[in-house]
Order: sequence, then structure tokens, then C-alpha cells
Amino acid sequence: MIKITNLHASINGKEILKGLNLEVNAGEVHAIMGPNGAGKSTLASVLAGREDYEITAGSVDFDGKDLLELSTEDRAREGLFLAFQYPVEIPGVSNVNFLRTALNEKREYLGEEPISAKDFMAMVREKSAIVELDAKLASRAVNEGFSGGEKKRNEIFQMAMLEPKLAVLDETDSGLDIDALRIVANGVNTLKTPNNASIVITHYQRLLDYIVPDFVHVLYDGKIVMTGTKELALELEEKGYDWIKERMEA
Amino acid sequence: MKTTTLDSKVAAFCEGLIPTQLTALQTQQGQAQAFLDSNDFPTTRHERYKYTRLAKLANTEFSAFKLSDAATLQAYQLDADAYTVYIHGAQFELPSDLPKGLSLTLISQQNDAMTTELEDVFDALSSRYCHDGLVLHLADNTTLDKPIQIIQVDNGGKFFYKHHFSFGKNAEAKIWYAHFAQQASCSFSHTHLTIDVQEEARIQIDKLQAANDTHFAFAKEHIIQAQRSHFTINTYTLSGAFVRNEVTVAVAGQHAETHLNGAYLLKGQQHVANYTTIDHQVPNCESFENYRGIADEKASAVFNGKVFVRPDAQKTNAYQSNASIVLGPDASINSKPELEIYADDVKCSHGSTTGQLDENALFYLRARGIGETAARTLLLQAFMAEVLEAASPVVQTVLQQKISQRFHWEIQE
Repeated sequence: MIKITNLHASINGKEILKGLNLEVNAGEVHAIMGPNGAGKSTLASVLAGREDYEITAGSVDFDGKDLLELSTEDRAREGLFLAFQYPVEIPGVSNVNFLRTALNEKREYLGEEPISAKDFMAMVREKSAIVELDAKLASRAVNEGFSGGEKKRNEIFQMAMLEPKLAVLDETDSGLDIDALRIVANGVNTLKTPNNASIVITHYQRLLDYIVPDFVHVLYDGKIVMTGTKELALELEEKGYDWIKERMEA
Repeated sequence: MKTTTLDSKVAAFCEGLIPTQLTALQTQQGQAQAFLDSNDFPTTRHERYKYTRLAKLANTEFSAFKLSDAATLQAYQLDADAYTVYIHGAQFELPSDLPKGLSLTLISQQNDAMTTELEDVFDALSSRYCHDGLVLHLADNTTLDKPIQIIQVDNGGKFFYKHHFSFGKNAEAKIWYAHFAQQASCSFSHTHLTIDVQEEARIQIDKLQAANDTHFAFAKEHIIQAQRSHFTINTYTLSGAFVRNEVTVAVAGQHAETHLNGAYLLKGQQHVANYTTIDHQVPNCESFENYRGIADEKASAVFNGKVFVRPDAQKTNAYQSNASIVLGPDASINSKPELEIYADDVKCSHGSTTGQLDENALFYLRARGIGETAARTLLLQAFMAEVLEAASPVVQTVLQQKISQRFHWEIQE
């Protein structure tokens, strides 16, 4: 699905990713954990195509395509989805109008017919139920006046609508209470199929009680320094990131 | 032989203009000419023209007026059902079947003296060279069943109009004033409009400025509102080389409500200035002002919004907002709110923001698969929506069509 090889990226001349390698196959859930400043959100931004970052070395193969050569919108149309850590409020643009535009641009890119208004609304009803998002929120302006939990649920709702191959969830658990966390995790689990995959970026183990990963990676100083199964997350929770630091600096 | 000296740009501008023959304006001719003899076009040293260079106006060769036929004019109407007034050069065409309570006549048909306070050289020009004007009166307790659309189509020449609208007690009407110009013409027009809104009248005026990009349009509106009246004026500027709108509302009766909305969507070398004044003279009134604009390429816009709250005007609520997006690196926007508050028990607020398109929002949309052009359009439409939605539905439709043609915006439903 995605193969990241020796990825180096910097912002304002400061190198953040320093040779990151990661391979994710269809049907898998990978968790990336790490201390603050390790490069977790940078990885998410670089994959989505944020232009503030400069890629200085490495490659990313996304289902046979050179991801780094694609524009942000084409990455999305190819099936990459980034659930934002801080979803943006866009006053005046309704959620449904935004999603219909997004869906139809993707369909056009893939050479498909636009979705009919009727099918679209049926889809909105079905998918908003997955994250228990009030249908009224779907017709409001994108994220405007949404609570922290509603914003994150809206991210997963969008993910459900766009049906990506690979979803990158950037600290989706941050700022969520336990109920919202459960709803969001449940949404992600419901959307899981043998044909898609997710990368769950998180600082805390708690989200992984709900979204059970096949692999857990530790990102430290711009590189994956350790890979294990879900037990690694528990160990990290117990010993803290200082344990990694000590091991790395030893 | 006549020589044109450097300090008489106005004299050069007036060449070829014929002093007005309107009976109603004769008493002010001496005063107007004296004003023109001793004043020139304001320079940028003048506070109200700080960002506006009138040299362009003085140097422009205007094309000669050409008469367009009725079918050509008719093509500009917004709605076939409305009461339609056509203004084309010195020609006015008034609708024949008017409902009870509505009267539409012309200044040229009236003998009562009409005087205008000469605030600047354009007022003097207007008084000296006025071609004609529409006199609209809506009787007390009359609700118009259909809007009145005033369709002004310029096709060369320099024209001055003085209109007067009066709305009786408890009258209700919607007026659309749409201003166009024939392609390949280069025209100037100055419109001075006075509006008297009586007690409890509810009036909405939608102004659509969509002349061609060699057109100069000056418009001045003076409104006086009596108690419990509701008055709205929405000013939408889409095209025109040079557009200047000056709206002054005197809120003279208690419990009156005033709405001023404006939108300007500019590109090329357009210059558009909106000067507004809301003068709260009495207590217990509310005013809401919201202007939004976009300047692309080398366009420049000016917004100057003045709100006076006089000592007697306690319990005034006055809100003003001006937000602009500068798209082009060579585009500019100057925004200046001016609040003068002399009463102590009032709620007044103003906000002025000028910036670029929100890059985070743009990235968010693109990260969902929306192409950059479509994402920009979506954000710009969203930004303008609030003020565009203040217009009557028919005017909104026309606005959307014109905007999508001019800016290649696809209409989102």
C-alpha cells in the first residue's frame, strides 16, 4: 500500500525527518508513537503534501505511484486521507457542499460519473451515523463552532464519505473525552476492510485500547527506532519515552 | 482662443457639456458655476481622495454618446415582471401601468426649485450639467407588489442625474438600481440620489454596478430616515474602471433600523471607493454595516465607514464590519473605520480585516481532493456569501451569473 524509504524532510532549514522507513500493507493498522518533537506530525503533513516542508531525500511509493510527485489534491484523489490534528474551521462553506465537491472531484479524477444528489444525501445519512454525528452538523459550515469532539468526529465522517485506501490519523485522540474517543475509534474500526489500511499517530497508548494496531512503531528524532506489536505500546506507556531516549543515547 | 491651464482640469472636463435646461435647477446655476470657477478636482492631499487619483478622469477621452435601441436596453433588465425604468443618456423611459400609490415622474417635468448642498466639485458639476432625474413617490400605507428596477445603460458621453425618492408612512418597496454600459464605450456618469423614508416605511435598495471596464461611475446617496423605518441599501460593485459610492444616512427618527451592505469584486486596474456615513441623531436606533471585497490583479479598493453618534442618540446600537481579501500582489485595499461617539450609553463596534486567503483552509480543502482553483473559489464564495445573500433573490442570481463569468467561478449549489 505505502512504502516510505529513507525519507528526509526539513522545515525552515531544520531537518525533522532523518531517514524514515515504513511499509504498510492493505488490511493493516500501524501505530506510530513517539515523544513530542520526534516528527510524528511532520510525517503526516509530508504525506499529505503540505508545502511548508522540503523533502531532501527519500521516496514514498503509494500503490505504485510516486506520492511525492503528486499534488495534495491528487494524493487525496488517489486515496490518501489525513485526519487533521487541528481540523480547520471554514465559515461559509457547508460541510455537505464541501464533501460533495470533494467526492465529485475524486470521481472525475478516477473517470467516474458525479454522484447524484439523492445518492449523496443517502450516503451522508449512512456515514454520519457511523460517528454519531448529528445530521444537522453535516449541513453546517465546516467545523465552525464545533466542539473538539465534534471536529474529530467530523474528520472520521469525511473519511467515511471519501473511502480512502490509506488513512493517516494525526493525534486524533488529542482533546477527546472518553466517549468521543470511543465513538471515533469505533468509526475507524467500522471502516476497516481487507483493502484499506491506517496509520494511527498518537502520543498516548489509550487510543490503542480501542483501535488495535497490528504493528507499533516508535518514532524518535526523525526515525523509526523500534517496531513491535501492540504490547510495545503498553511497555511504552509503562516506562515512558525516557526509556527510549536512554536506550538511544546509550 | 481658449487656453487650458494646468489648474483647470474641471474646465477641460466640462468642455462640450451643455448647462442644464431643467427649470427646477435654475436657481442654483450661478452658485454652481461660481463653485466650478474656483475649485478643481480634489487631489490626493484631500482626505476624502487620499487613495483616489482623479488624474485618470481628467485625462480620459470619453466616447461620444450613441443611442441604443429599445431591444438592446431591454436585454439588460433583471426581471421581466418588475416595474421598469430605463435610463439611457438623457433619455428616460417610464413604465405605463403603475399601481395605485406609486408615482414616477422626471425632474424635467417639475418646476419647484431643487437645490443641492455643494460639498465638492462633483455636486457643482451635477447641479450645473444635470440631464434629468427620476422622481419616485410611494404614497402612505402602500406596499409595492413588485420591485421597481431602474436599468441604466450608458453608451458614451458624460451624464449627470439627480433622482429623488420619497416613501410615505408605512410604505414598503424594493428597488433595484442596475447600472450597465455598452461594450466599446467609454462613459462617465454621476448620480445624485436623495431618499426620504417616512415613519414605519420599509425600503430595500439593491444597487448593482456592472458597467464596462472603461466606465467612470460616481454615485452619491443621501438618505433621511424617520422613526420606526427600516432602510437597507446593498451596493454590489462588479465592474467599472472607476467607481465611487458615497452613502450618507441621517437617522432622524427613533427606533429606526439601517442596513448597509456592500460587496466589491475587483480585478484589472479597477478602482472602487465606498464612503459611508451613518449619522445617529436620535436615541434607540440600530445600524448594521457589512462590506466585503476582493481585489485581484492591480485593482484597488477603498472603504471609509463613518459612524456618528450624536450626544442625544443614547441607546444606539451601531455595528460596522469591513473585511477584504487581497489576491493579487499588485492589488491594494485601504480600509478606514471612523467612529465618533458623543453619547455614553451606546453599543458600537467596528472591525476591519484585510488579508490573504486562509492558507490553512486552502490546504484542508485540497487535502480532501478539491483542486486548488476550485478550493480558492469555494473559499472566496464563502467569504462573499454573507453580503451577497442580503440581495433580493433575483439580484442574487444575476450577481452569481456576473461573478462566475467575470471570475470563472462555477456556481456551487
